[in-house]
Amino acid sequence: MKGLPEDYLYYPARRRGMDHEIYPFRALPKAQPVTWPNGARIALCIAVHMGHFPMDMPLKPFIAPGGMERPYPSYWDYTLRDYGSRIGVYRLMNSLTVRGMPATALLSAILARRYPALMDDLAEARWEIACAGLDMGRLHHSGVPLDQERATVQEAAALVRARFGTSVRGWHSPAHSESSDTLRLVAEAGFSFTTGWANDDVPYVMVTDAGRLICMPLSQDLSDQRMLHQQHLPTEDFTKAILTAHQTLDREAEATGSGRILVVPITPWLMGVPHRIRAFNAMLDSMMARGSVWPATMGQIADHWRAQNPN
Amino acid sequence: MLSEPGHYDYMPWRRRPRITWPNGARIAFWVAPNIEHYELDPPPNARRMPWTRPQPDVLGYSWRDYGNRVGFWRMAPDVMARHGVRGSVSLNVAVCDHYPEIIERCCELDWELFSHGTYNTRYFYGMNEDQQRAVIRENRETIKRASGQELDGWLTPAISNDETTQHLLAEEGIKYTLDMLHDDQPTPIKVRSGHLISIPYSLEINDVPLLIMRNTPPERFAAICKAQFDQLYEEGAESGTVMCMPLHPFLIGQPHRVSALDDVLRYVVGHDKVWLATGREIAAWYTEHHLAEAQSWIAAGTP
Repeated sequence: MKGLPEDYLYYPARRRGMDHEIYPFRALPKAQPVTWPNGARIALCIAVHMGHFPMDMPLKPFIAPGGMERPYPSYWDYTLRDYGSRIGVYRLMNSLTVRGMPATALLSAILARRYPALMDDLAEARWEIACAGLDMGRLHHSGVPLDQERATVQEAAALVRARFGTSVRGWHSPAHSESSDTLRLVAEAGFSFTTGWANDDVPYVMVTDAGRLICMPLSQDLSDQRMLHQQHLPTEDFTKAILTAHQTLDREAEATGSGRILVVPITPWLMGVPHRIRAFNAMLDSMMARGSVWPATMGQIADHWRAQNPN
Repeated sequence: MLSEPGHYDYMPWRRRPRITWPNGARIAFWVAPNIEHYELDPPPNARRMPWTRPQPDVLGYSWRDYGNRVGFWRMAPDVMARHGVRGSVSLNVAVCDHYPEIIERCCELDWELFSHGTYNTRYFYGMNEDQQRAVIRENRETIKRASGQELDGWLTPAISNDETTQHLLAEEGIKYTLDMLHDDQPTPIKVRSGHLISIPYSLEINDVPLLIMRNTPPERFAAICKAQFDQLYEEGAESGTVMCMPLHPFLIGQPHRVSALDDVLRYVVGHDKVWLATGREIAAWYTEHHLAEAQSWIAAGTP
């Protein structure tokens, strides 16, 4: 029998720590304790996936969650996602504004040009804008030529900064997908934090050839896209899971004396529909009622963490 | 390929011109039973196979056939009529030929018939304009012959519309389309000639996605419908909203589910500011009272 090539059992990156140089391993108990304003136990960030899904988006190498799953021209998929940008996001804005809570929008940059009225309303609601690529049809992956990926990052950054100024410093790669170059290109474009690697509850530093990025937590496991759209779970399973996560993190904060972060990833075309928005409101009220919560943007949390982790 | 349908403008869910419904209602509530026929031996379509199993797909076929033999008769005359809720039928028009009994009963109940194409197994994907036009015209004639009704509304089978379908609908005198799911209110639709509006259909409150794709038990189905109603009823105090409840008799008319429909309808009709409307009535009211204002607001840049 021929078997596999000899080097199949060769492990060049087998060593203590990570099998790459982007960041070192860090076990949760070794994370530097942090404190939040007013001694809050939980920094709460509502992260809103504001993706735009072109009807002619490529279906390879994979379809981003929410992408065109039905034959072209899928009015079904296109218009349901667009509903989120017309109506769903306004319901979310109303819910958060009346509670005095901010949010961080993970925004397809193309929306800054497409929907200027919406951009004005986001600015008025004081949502933080983080750039989530150009749109959901321009995914970052290893099949994209470097020059093309660089142009995409630069164009996306220019679009959001043209509307919201240079204070835009957060990045999210659409659909949590990246090439080996993405982080470097993002740092090169002047972003200071990124979010989308699903490996920690605590921020950490990523090192690229173009500089450092703070990697902020963003769960996919605990997101409405996964639980409601991909797993088809009932709304209450998602809101209950968020509340359970809050309880766990709250207890950890109490036990360790270190603040914890809860990022709640939500999507206008999912949580912003009429039959879900009340469950979302009730979830927010339950979290705030627990007390010791600091509602913040991802950038604010990154700043506080960075000030206490200068190295 | 088009990057977007291009049939509607952006309208933020704020600052819109106020919509009012008849008698001070906050919400226009309409029920759209999809009365369908899926053929036993349909031709293939390059973009979508009608059945998942080799034809004849006996299980798929007979499950849907249940709707016409049993489900309709249970949900329509019994449950809906009891609550005074009329249907606006999303009709596979060949049902007029296959099961005239059903059409007759719909007419007795004063239900609206609109077209959901000829068969649910004949998609619009890939049809040329002449072919699409021929289907629309034939559907109009058949509905007129079978019921005396005009054809005002349209939902392409399986929402399989092609790039030009909405233009053809407008040119053929269709007044409202349901192929777009971008809003909770009627909206103007841009077409190359003629006039067309969109009124809200739903894939959120729809027994196919909820019961089949999302595995929802009947009690939760009812709870979701009520939650949808509660929110749109509340928002309707500011500006009138639309809630559509699309149904499929082969699903909601099953004995273990029909009580969920009864429950939802009892809840809805128990509110006083509800307009129990048909699609045609909503389209006519909006076109007469609110369309021009919406168009002006859009032209002014949604200030």
